[in-house]
Amino acid sequence: MRYALMLCASLAATPAVAGVEEALTDHILPGYAGFTEEAQALAEAAQQDCTAPALRDPWNAAFDAWTEIGDVRMGPSETGALSVAFWPDTRGFTPKTLARMISGEEEAGRDPQAFAEVSIAARGLFALERMLYDEDLSGYEAGSYACTLVQTITADLAAQAGALESGWREGFADVLRSAGEDGNTTYLSEDEALRALYTQILSSLEFTADTRLGRPLGTFDRPRPARAEAWRSGRSLRNAVMDAAAAAALAHALADWELPETEAAMARLREVADRVTDLAFQDIDDPSARLRVEIVQQHIRALADAIELEIGLPLGLTPGFNSQDGD
Amino acid sequence: MTTRRSFLASLLAAGASPAVGWAAVGDPAYLAAAKQPDGSYMLAGLREDGSEAFRVPLPARGHAASAHPHRAEAVGFARRPGTYALVVDCRDGAVLHQLSAPEDRQFNGHGVYSPDGTRLFTSEQRVEDSAGFVGIWDTEANYSRIGEFETHGVGPHDLRVMPDGETLAIANGGIQTDRWDRTKLNLDTMRPSLVYTAFDGTVLERCALEELSQNSIRHLALRPDGLVGFAMQWQGEPGMAPPLLGLHRRGSDPVLCEAPLGDELAMDGYAGSVAFSGDGSEIAITSPRGGRMHRFSAEGAFLGVVSRADICGLARHAKGYIASDGLGGVMLVGQGGTTPLRRAEAAWDNHLIPIRA
Repeated sequence: MRYALMLCASLAATPAVAGVEEALTDHILPGYAGFTEEAQALAEAAQQDCTAPALRDPWNAAFDAWTEIGDVRMGPSETGALSVAFWPDTRGFTPKTLARMISGEEEAGRDPQAFAEVSIAARGLFALERMLYDEDLSGYEAGSYACTLVQTITADLAAQAGALESGWREGFADVLRSAGEDGNTTYLSEDEALRALYTQILSSLEFTADTRLGRPLGTFDRPRPARAEAWRSGRSLRNAVMDAAAAAALAHALADWELPETEAAMARLREVADRVTDLAFQDIDDPSARLRVEIVQQHIRALADAIELEIGLPLGLTPGFNSQDGD
Repeated sequence: MTTRRSFLASLLAAGASPAVGWAAVGDPAYLAAAKQPDGSYMLAGLREDGSEAFRVPLPARGHAASAHPHRAEAVGFARRPGTYALVVDCRDGAVLHQLSAPEDRQFNGHGVYSPDGTRLFTSEQRVEDSAGFVGIWDTEANYSRIGEFETHGVGPHDLRVMPDGETLAIANGGIQTDRWDRTKLNLDTMRPSLVYTAFDGTVLERCALEELSQNSIRHLALRPDGLVGFAMQWQGEPGMAPPLLGLHRRGSDPVLCEAPLGDELAMDGYAGSVAFSGDGSEIAITSPRGGRMHRFSAEGAFLGVVSRADICGLARHAKGYIASDGLGGVMLVGQGGTTPLRRAEAAWDNHLIPIRA
């Protein structure tokens, strides 16, 4: 469950506006620009050489760039992020859709514009991970349908990145900046924009702890390593740490005061992450390996606690009234 | 001839102050409960323009409230597991009656008055096994309990009186809960249903989704022609993105209203409220967890999204819908888009209840 938070009315609004602008200019907008750059580089590389070994490095660079802003789920990214990073794929849509497209050599796989209309499960970074790392899929030859499909997915990804970047830069950034002004139907007061950004930070950390790590951890009796995020490419731990670092960076941008507890928590998280033995969590059947991942999970939660303490508490931000309440 | 003395005596015999209508409390169109900045709880009456007709204190956070069709009184249910409900005078918040659930029953947060206002029907479950019951209370006799009947399902939640004025539609959520801590006990075997009964409990029809049995049917919306919208909450594995809204007409198969995959995922498997639009051409659900409202045509086609943090309360409005949220916002959602009506210094609770059915 994603967090939603409520801002108490007693809050002074002035620092809120400053924090929103800095979150945009220091973190979010450069983050989308960086992702556009890497996604374009990946698409260009695929035009040069579509084979899996040639594309793994630029794909990883694009994924790294994505982690800067991948957990921001508001405005154009509210659903737009899902077609870039479709995970978790609980119903197995990604492999099913890719298999169907490849076996039927579906025309949409050759046309980036038509491809934008296919299932979001066949688009983006995780569809590419299948094509580049899955044993059954990644052996395709230059000139094959799969090769063209990879070129199409990368071109679509670059287009998505550009659309997200401009959607933020030319649209949603101003919705946040104009919170509380007449005509703004998303944020009815200035402090709601700050609250919305703060919510993204905690949602991201909660998702990492509960889903990126919690999903593969499963239960002690039944760990589910194949449910780890991006395990085929060995990015599971890397994603968790980079997503947490991005959340902490957004917290720093949002607060114009020092966050020593947050910094210390992030440093400890990096330390315990270094002790994880398999970066893809495929060894968590082993109790001691499992414990190391659980410790990372605890430190993700500790980072969230530090941010709540250093930002949420002084600003009077508390969990949402309805979203926290099952009914 | 009625003397002053006999008039007063008749009032005393009725055991209540003179009943006043909704016009006496500012003619509100909706009831909405809220938490105030000082942590206390209140029940407000809102007009169609979002302005406040009245505001009275509530002793604790309630679940949903129901409005008497004629008198300015509302019944609010305690949080689950609910052992009591309070009938509140909307002029001053005075507690007119306290309803206690029988020893082996719990209130499940929703209730509805009969169209003539003489009966209150309450959604209840048996403590030991969550079997569903409707409690019947006589509003003319100090809200005394005069009977009950089975809902033929587990864990009923919302219930409504159908437009014919003599049939109840009951959402059996299907979830069996532990009597003390509300732990869900039967998620693998749950069988939610929509059941129609007469006021005496005679079952008239039962509708269930066999293939989505983990989709708890919880809240209902009715259109004057008898079309029923039911909102669901997914209890299965996260990320399955099931449809969260269904439409049912008696004698027909239910129709599921599906949103595109990305939108469905963003709802987080949770619909908190459901309402038809004022002209009945649309229906919508809200997800406070997803911070969004999904609009569908009354035939079930997805129409679009309204994004708003912690949105939950939803009711029909002459110009479309009225929605409320935990940030204090009250919005009009119409054909021309979203218009904020007000932002109150209060966190609006789950539901906006239309006063006149």
